[in-house]
Amino acid sequence: MKRLLLASCLAGLFMAGPLHAQRFTCPARGGDIVFGQEANVNSLDQMTSNTISTRNIAMNIFETLMTRDENNNPILELAESMTASQDGMTYTFRLRSGVTFHNGKAMTSADVAASFNRYNRIGLQRSTLDNVAGWDTPDPLTFVIRMKQAQPTFIEALSSFSVPIVVIPAELENDERQQLRTIGTGPFRLLEFVPGSHARLGRYDGYSPNTAFEQRTGFGGYRVACVDTVTFRIVTEASARVAGLETGALQAVEDVPTRSLEGLRRNAAITVLPLTNWWIQIALPNTSIAPTNNLAFRRAVQAALGMEDIMDAATDGNYRLNIGFQFPNQATYTDAGRETYNINDPVRARALLREANYRNEPIVILTNRDYPPMYNAALVMEQQLKAVGINASLRVVDWPTSVQMSQQLNSTEWHIFHSGWGTQPALGALATMQFLVSPNAAYRPRDNRDDPEVLAAWNAMNTLPDQAARNAAFATMQRLILERAYAYPFGSLTKVQAVRSNLQGFVPFRIPRFSNVWLQR
Amino acid sequence: MIRLATRSLLSAIPVLLIVSLISFGLMRLIPGDPAAAIAGISATPGQIAQLRQDLGLDEPLLVQLVQYYKGLFQGDFGRSLVLGQGVLAATAERLPVTIGLALYALVFTLIIGIGCGIIAALRQNSWVDQAAMMFAMIGISVPNFFLGLLMIILFAVKLGWLPSGGYIPFTQSPWGWLQSTTMPAFSLALLQAGLLARITRSSMLEVLRQDYIRTARAKGLPRHSVILKHALANALIPIVTVVGIIVSLLLSGAVVTEALFSLPGMGLLLTQAVLNRDYPMVQGGLLLVTVFLVTVNIAVDLLYAVLDPRVRYE
Repeated sequence: MKRLLLASCLAGLFMAGPLHAQRFTCPARGGDIVFGQEANVNSLDQMTSNTISTRNIAMNIFETLMTRDENNNPILELAESMTASQDGMTYTFRLRSGVTFHNGKAMTSADVAASFNRYNRIGLQRSTLDNVAGWDTPDPLTFVIRMKQAQPTFIEALSSFSVPIVVIPAELENDERQQLRTIGTGPFRLLEFVPGSHARLGRYDGYSPNTAFEQRTGFGGYRVACVDTVTFRIVTEASARVAGLETGALQAVEDVPTRSLEGLRRNAAITVLPLTNWWIQIALPNTSIAPTNNLAFRRAVQAALGMEDIMDAATDGNYRLNIGFQFPNQATYTDAGRETYNINDPVRARALLREANYRNEPIVILTNRDYPPMYNAALVMEQQLKAVGINASLRVVDWPTSVQMSQQLNSTEWHIFHSGWGTQPALGALATMQFLVSPNAAYRPRDNRDDPEVLAAWNAMNTLPDQAARNAAFATMQRLILERAYAYPFGSLTKVQAVRSNLQGFVPFRIPRFSNVWLQR
Repeated sequence: MIRLATRSLLSAIPVLLIVSLISFGLMRLIPGDPAAAIAGISATPGQIAQLRQDLGLDEPLLVQLVQYYKGLFQGDFGRSLVLGQGVLAATAERLPVTIGLALYALVFTLIIGIGCGIIAALRQNSWVDQAAMMFAMIGISVPNFFLGLLMIILFAVKLGWLPSGGYIPFTQSPWGWLQSTTMPAFSLALLQAGLLARITRSSMLEVLRQDYIRTARAKGLPRHSVILKHALANALIPIVTVVGIIVSLLLSGAVVTEALFSLPGMGLLLTQAVLNRDYPMVQGGLLLVTVFLVTVNIAVDLLYAVLDPRVRYE
């Protein structure tokens, strides 16, 4: 029956810090933190939202069976062990005992089952459970997932923090979409949520930390709330966030504009914290229409691109050149297809244009102003394409419109679409490459007919039993995508956060984590 | 007076119907996918398609229109696609913030605008007049966004007198409310104050040249009595008209101010709703704001009748 007993393995293998590090204790307790958040929060229903702003807050409140560590590896969170059957058809989770919800109720397998039921009904990423036949609760601390067929990548999908299956009390199972009562098991509980203004979280004194770890790691690990309250204040205007940080009205902020960095770095009361690898800046060709359906033309575009200039303009200098669809700190990173990256060779580009028989047809670059990095990248790309003789022009709309246009089947309105991939690359190769196969194929193949070789590599990524073989399949898929110029990844964007210097223990991550963070007196 | 009020109320009904229809139509006409906006930047096309179906956005337009009016006539303004909250509840949370801000800004507008206008008219062509009109011009010319930023730097960062942003409800702390809304209200008011000062000046100048003012002066009435009772009272009609418009402008101008000072008001809510293509929120929110504005305009109409008996007799 048993093949993997991941309890101690996962915990031990992936926890942050030395193996025998001392368990974290708060150097100081109490105090209030106010975090200046850039984007508005619409709802704290983590099951039905994929937005970063929701995750920022909700992931300090809710927890899941499994999550990801600092290096994005799956780890156990509300489960103390997970056993997969030999045939990969069942996963048995032993829940941690003594975990209570913010309403004081003890968590049992019935709550986990109810959470899965709600997610299966309205969860935004409920396709995660498509291959799941059902779940059972043989006893209050055991939860069993039964598969329809073996899926080697199931644990990777289950531990995803994109739209996680957070565990809620069973009595909330029927709460409607975006109306979930905010009761979780995390180190902080919700005290007040005023949409458009702020969300105030308070330390949950009944929190039971995960003793399989010594320190916080990623979204999980050994977590302790040291401060009394954390207020996430919505401050959409960048200058107001910086002013708030300078006056001390805010203790931490995200998305610091480049123009303010120099001043903040000179201020001894403030620490600037770059968060590298926030997202991959990318453009995608529409391969359902001419001339972007022509491989030689797409390669001409590829040959014309100079990534330093594009990324510099896109990010105000806060970037790293990066080949492909994963970040170098990830286990799955590969530079397969590197010869296609940052070529910046106008002679070669012109030769490829001749090979493509390009006759000065207009090329529409679809972008938006809601995300300035996308707009700026498109602007530089337009100039680089014009420099090699491509009749490129921008079409600027807002983000929802650009998404709608980019997703129309066989659209004739655009040739190159600008986007940014953030959460998915951080989640791993599988989550990222789903954007390159139907129905999601971002290079828009005609009638959604996938490139068969790309599809074969994708299937191998999903079905090969061995991780190393799946990684090799990913490398193959990345190489194919880049060689066939189905995507133009430019590089990785660095997001800059800043904190008051008396705020200790704050380490930039995919969300602002406030466990194991304290205020120095 | 009652007949006037009834007539004003009845004329408001077609206005509300037209606004509701236009907001419904316009939201459907602009391109963009609400599901894409709600799902976030990391969502896959598959997730977006699923969400579109879940939210009923694939229903025919006519069905959506019928459902919308059916709900309206039952007092149901719908539920925000993004917030998951009833439109009425969301508006009830946000509208008081914006109305409070607009009224506070109106106080600044009236004090500065009418004050400067009267002084300028009384000291016509003097340096006082020039200074007051220059101040009005600055108010009209400086964008409230820029003024707000300057105020944040001076009063929050440098002097530390006022908070750089955030909102404290009046019910929670009147002093806190005053602190959190003073800078936004002032930056919002300055533009309108400039306009009002110019209108007050010209209106006062016109009245001050009338025979009855000369008569009042000749009778030996005190100066303040001539200015306030005789001149200002008669100059008020055009000023009241402008004040009605200013209230609308303050409400619409609050969008930028709310964003800059992080105030959870109606302007920010509606802007977000438009950007997210949150159809029910935009439709319902606009309708409720229209109800408020129509009420203000009816109040202005009734005020005419109070100020000028001729209106009552028409």
